[in-house]
Amino acid sequence: MEDQREYFKIALRNIRTRRLRSFLTVLGIIIGVFLIISLLSLSEGLKTTINKQLQAMGGEMIMVMPGGEEDIFTSMMFGGAKLQKQDIEAIKKAKGVDKVLGFSYTGTIARYKDESKQIAMCGYDPWKESLDVLSIFQGWSLAEGRWPSKGNQILIGQYIANEIFSKKIKAGSEMVIKGKKFEVAGILNSLGSKQDDSMAYMDMKVYQNLTGEKQGTAAYAIVKLKEGADENVVKTEIEDSLEKTRKRRAGTDVADFSVITSEKMGEITGTILDIIQVVIIGFASIAIVVGGIGITNSMFTSVRERTKEIGIMKAIGAKNSAILSIFLIEAGIVGIFGGIGGVLLGSILAKVIDYYGQINPTFYFTTTISPWMIVFALVFSFSIGCLAGFFPARAAAKLKPVDALRKYE
Amino acid sequence: MEPIIKLENVWKIYQLGKTELAALRGLSLEINPGAFVAIMGASGSGKSTLLNIIGCLDFPTKGKVYLKGEDITKMSESQLAQLRGKVLGFVFQEFNLLPNINCLENVMLPMVFQRVPFLERKEKAEKILKMVGLEKRMIHQPAELSGGERQRVAMARAFANNPEVIIADEPTGNLDSTTGKMIMEFLKDFHIKQGKTMIVVTHDPNIANYAEEIINIKDGQITKNHLAAEKVLWKTKENILKSP
Ligand SMILES: Nc1ncnc2c1ncn2[C@@H]1O[C@H](COP(=O)(O)OP(=O)(O)OP(=O)(O)O)[C@@H](O)[C@H]1O
Ligand SMILES: [Mg+2]
Repeated sequence: MEDQREYFKIALRNIRTRRLRSFLTVLGIIIGVFLIISLLSLSEGLKTTINKQLQAMGGEMIMVMPGGEEDIFTSMMFGGAKLQKQDIEAIKKAKGVDKVLGFSYTGTIARYKDESKQIAMCGYDPWKESLDVLSIFQGWSLAEGRWPSKGNQILIGQYIANEIFSKKIKAGSEMVIKGKKFEVAGILNSLGSKQDDSMAYMDMKVYQNLTGEKQGTAAYAIVKLKEGADENVVKTEIEDSLEKTRKRRAGTDVADFSVITSEKMGEITGTILDIIQVVIIGFASIAIVVGGIGITNSMFTSVRERTKEIGIMKAIGAKNSAILSIFLIEAGIVGIFGGIGGVLLGSILAKVIDYYGQINPTFYFTTTISPWMIVFALVFSFSIGCLAGFFPARAAAKLKPVDALRKYE
Repeated sequence: MEPIIKLENVWKIYQLGKTELAALRGLSLEINPGAFVAIMGASGSGKSTLLNIIGCLDFPTKGKVYLKGEDITKMSESQLAQLRGKVLGFVFQEFNLLPNINCLENVMLPMVFQRVPFLERKEKAEKILKMVGLEKRMIHQPAELSGGERQRVAMARAFANNPEVIIADEPTGNLDSTTGKMIMEFLKDFHIKQGKTMIVVTHDPNIANYAEEIINIKDGQITKNHLAAEKVLWKTKENILKSP
């Protein structure tokens, strides 16, 4: 062990004397690890956000959303086609359906006192009924104020009330959204996700007046089932019913919709996110491998530059294993430095994204960095370093002392 | 007395493309423990080749090499490294210090490979550097020293593991005569006071004067008396000066 410590010192010295080149080599690994950490932390964060969202949606509900099941993810993130009046009617007609709540949301600017901030507004249709269903079945409750009863009254989420504006918003205050004055009737307790907590909820009619969205349509629909109805049976009923109206309207542009039970929703997003993570790890690993090749390359030049030193060390009693150790340690150090640098940069980016999300409520990305990610990144970069350094180190160890010493400089 | 180094019919043949170059041709010699031997000969006569084989840095193409009675051609790489580090000390013409570490660390390095504990090797290295008059230069990098000082550090490094044989290939070749003389005085001292074996390759008759035995090489063979029984050619100091 004693000698390993000495080899470590020599390796470190070697890295230091070729500072710039070592740094560039380290940079290759840094970029790879940085990619892994930042992308993984984003996708982890996405997973957390979506899981919260799903929990907020609650069980025993069915969602109808635009797009085929395979592109649920895109439509959730970026929106898509709208449900038409006939579609909503068709859903209502399906067996086992108790209530259908259509809803749409979009980002907008809201003014409170003299401050204008980005929030999201959300319309529910039918408004009164929605409030009933949401409060009874989805656990909506008021932190303050009362339920709205007039068209110019809205409900706002916790995040709008307490975080977005520099002054806290009290129930009964006035707020201006898209140039229209609203009274904040009530403030909701947290709904469990930041996205839901940074929305202003209002009557769909008012929403559509303000946004210009076509009256009677909705981006999504939540279906409340009749007592005792089976999720999967009702899902099929809704699909059949939608299919019929669609046939009737054949020829016009009829968008594809997916009918998804809450259980299925969790499954789909889970799988999609898993795939995304695998892809991310794949690409980032390629980046690290490229960095590793950089290490191999740099180590080979290092061995060539120091052939004479290797000869000297052998002449004064260094065994092949000692030379191998020195060069492996050097490569390992480069790898681990790259790992540390990448973890640091990745964490910084993650924090920046989080911070950006905090000041921009409609930016829903959050990041999560778990210890296993850091451990993985460090172990991975160290192993890549050693692996990349192995062949150059072996080449160094195998040099015949006389040839190494004779090297002409 | 058993010779510390013994070569039997050693050939070294270099393959240069299709042609072969025999740098050593059936050379045999014995060197006794405690001897001070100078190897002389024209450039290209095979002195360095011979020295490298004696120093276990290279193997002969043919023939046997014994160090302390053991056949080095039968040893494993790690045994050889062990032997080089412990039994032999090298001094080179171009000093060959490691440039990235300071003088003290350079002198400590051979002891690292022999697993001498840190404090012990530090103490020893400091003592030897003091002995060669470099106590003020210990933490300097080799690049900050003059040629003579560098060679003294290299010598200190060669002495570090208290080896039985010092092998020096033109140790004064890059130095002026005064500095060269100083280096030779140190080697002689080590030889006389500690009874160590010295093998020095040189072109310089004045340097060869320090030796007690002189081996003359020409075309990869020991000249004059290269009879099997008289592998080592003895010369008095007067003889050397007369025959260049
Ligand atoms: N690695 C090698 N490959 C091919 N030929 C070599 C090699 N090493 C030495 N030689 C040849 O072997 C012969 C002896 O070389 P060596 O270095 O032993 O000479 P030397 O006596 O030490 O000369 P000098 O006094 O100039 O140092 C020379 O002709 C040289 O060209
Ligand atoms: Mg030579």
